[in-house]
Amino acid sequence: MSHPLEPRIAAYIAGKTPQASDVAVSGLERISGGASRETYRFVLTWREDGRTLSRRMILRRDPPASLIDTERRIEFEAYAAFHGSAVPVPQMLWLEETDDALDHPFFIAEELAGFQAAPQLLFSGPYDAVLPKVAERKWTILGEIAKADPKALGLDRWMEAPPLDGCWKRELDDWEGVIDREAAEPYPITRAAIRWLRANPPPPARKLSVVHGDYRTGNFLYDEAGEIRGVLDWEMSHLGDPLEDLGWGLQPVWQFSRGLAGGLASQADAVATWERASGLKADPAALHWWTLFNCVKGQGIWVGSARAFLDGGNRDPIIIYSAWWLLNIQERAMLRVMGKL
Amino acid sequence: MTPSVPAVLFELAALMARATEPGMPEAERAPALRMSAAILATAAEQSDAAADHLVAENRAIAALLGDTASEASFRVSALKSENDRLRGRLIEAHVAAEQAGDQVRQDAIWAELVAGVERRNLANCPF
Repeated sequence: MSHPLEPRIAAYIAGKTPQASDVAVSGLERISGGASRETYRFVLTWREDGRTLSRRMILRRDPPASLIDTERRIEFEAYAAFHGSAVPVPQMLWLEETDDALDHPFFIAEELAGFQAAPQLLFSGPYDAVLPKVAERKWTILGEIAKADPKALGLDRWMEAPPLDGCWKRELDDWEGVIDREAAEPYPITRAAIRWLRANPPPPARKLSVVHGDYRTGNFLYDEAGEIRGVLDWEMSHLGDPLEDLGWGLQPVWQFSRGLAGGLASQADAVATWERASGLKADPAALHWWTLFNCVKGQGIWVGSARAFLDGGNRDPIIIYSAWWLLNIQERAMLRVMGKL
Repeated sequence: MTPSVPAVLFELAALMARATEPGMPEAERAPALRMSAAILATAAEQSDAAADHLVAENRAIAALLGDTASEASFRVSALKSENDRLRGRLIEAHVAAEQAGDQVRQDAIWAELVAGVERRNLANCPF
């Protein structure tokens, strides 16, 4: 049985490609795990210049309510800015910001097919020999993102540029605000962490960088040789302190219980690789601040998932999973970063 | 647990009913059921432990605060409501201890917070 979205996607793409005929969509499949956008893969076929052509594509559509409220244009432009650079990303094809075609805003991109993203698979044994390569590529690519000039990429057009000494406050204000608005229960550890962060602010950012915002194991595509073939999920990207991204990747939740940064490398090795690639130095005290901040940010996301369920806006099982499994684990991570555990 | 176990089970019941209907696309049926299975396993674990953990935590926090934990009902929802009240008061007590520079009091609160995280720990959590 075909998915009801297939003819609607085909009609949309046909409207964007007047040179094509017989545009059809098949094999539409929901990819599980995308909690802030509905993500589907499909195959597009069409006729052009007397030939039948096909291409695998990805649809990312806004759900009715999400863990994270973000602008899909910012995500689209971030992908587009890095396409063809040292940061591997899929090619963006079409962005639709209205509800007209598919009920909610969406974008369509090429699918980087044949690769894996799941951390559980990466850590299940068959990839053990290439994990050092994955680690080296992961932190090198993050260093490349930190090194990039947002203005040269044209991203300053879409993303607000905070002052160097205001990066930390903007982010902390934003995520504390999310927790204030959406928490359904008291979080004493999170509140203590926020108080510590405010009392011990980090130094100004060394440079203004593109911050991916969710650069962790699970948000990139890897192959059997340990090469990273695509960096995904740029929906929280913004301009800010490059240590913010490093701290997100180092926060304990993303160790996947392996005791290694991102489940892949010692923190010292990860930071050294990042420093080599970015040309920046990661001040240990500042990095500690950003790592704890990212625990608070993570809690903001999980609190948001619980709220999305409670308000009835999104009852997808992934929303329940996020709230049940991560709210407590995130507070445990805060205890570890604060030296209380 | 937030959302509550009963609210989640009601939702999963509705999801499973939908999944038996022919109109649900296959591409959505399998991932929804896989995720539901994982959630049901966690719900089973929690259904046995929840009241015990909440009673223990409410008594521990109440003792720390010089408060009394209400045990008018042992329904999980009632115990959770009392837990929210006590944890809210614990935040206030923690702020006061920090402002007073009372390290002994802060250490006692941190010890209870560590114990609380351990109580909430779920088996087989991949994080």
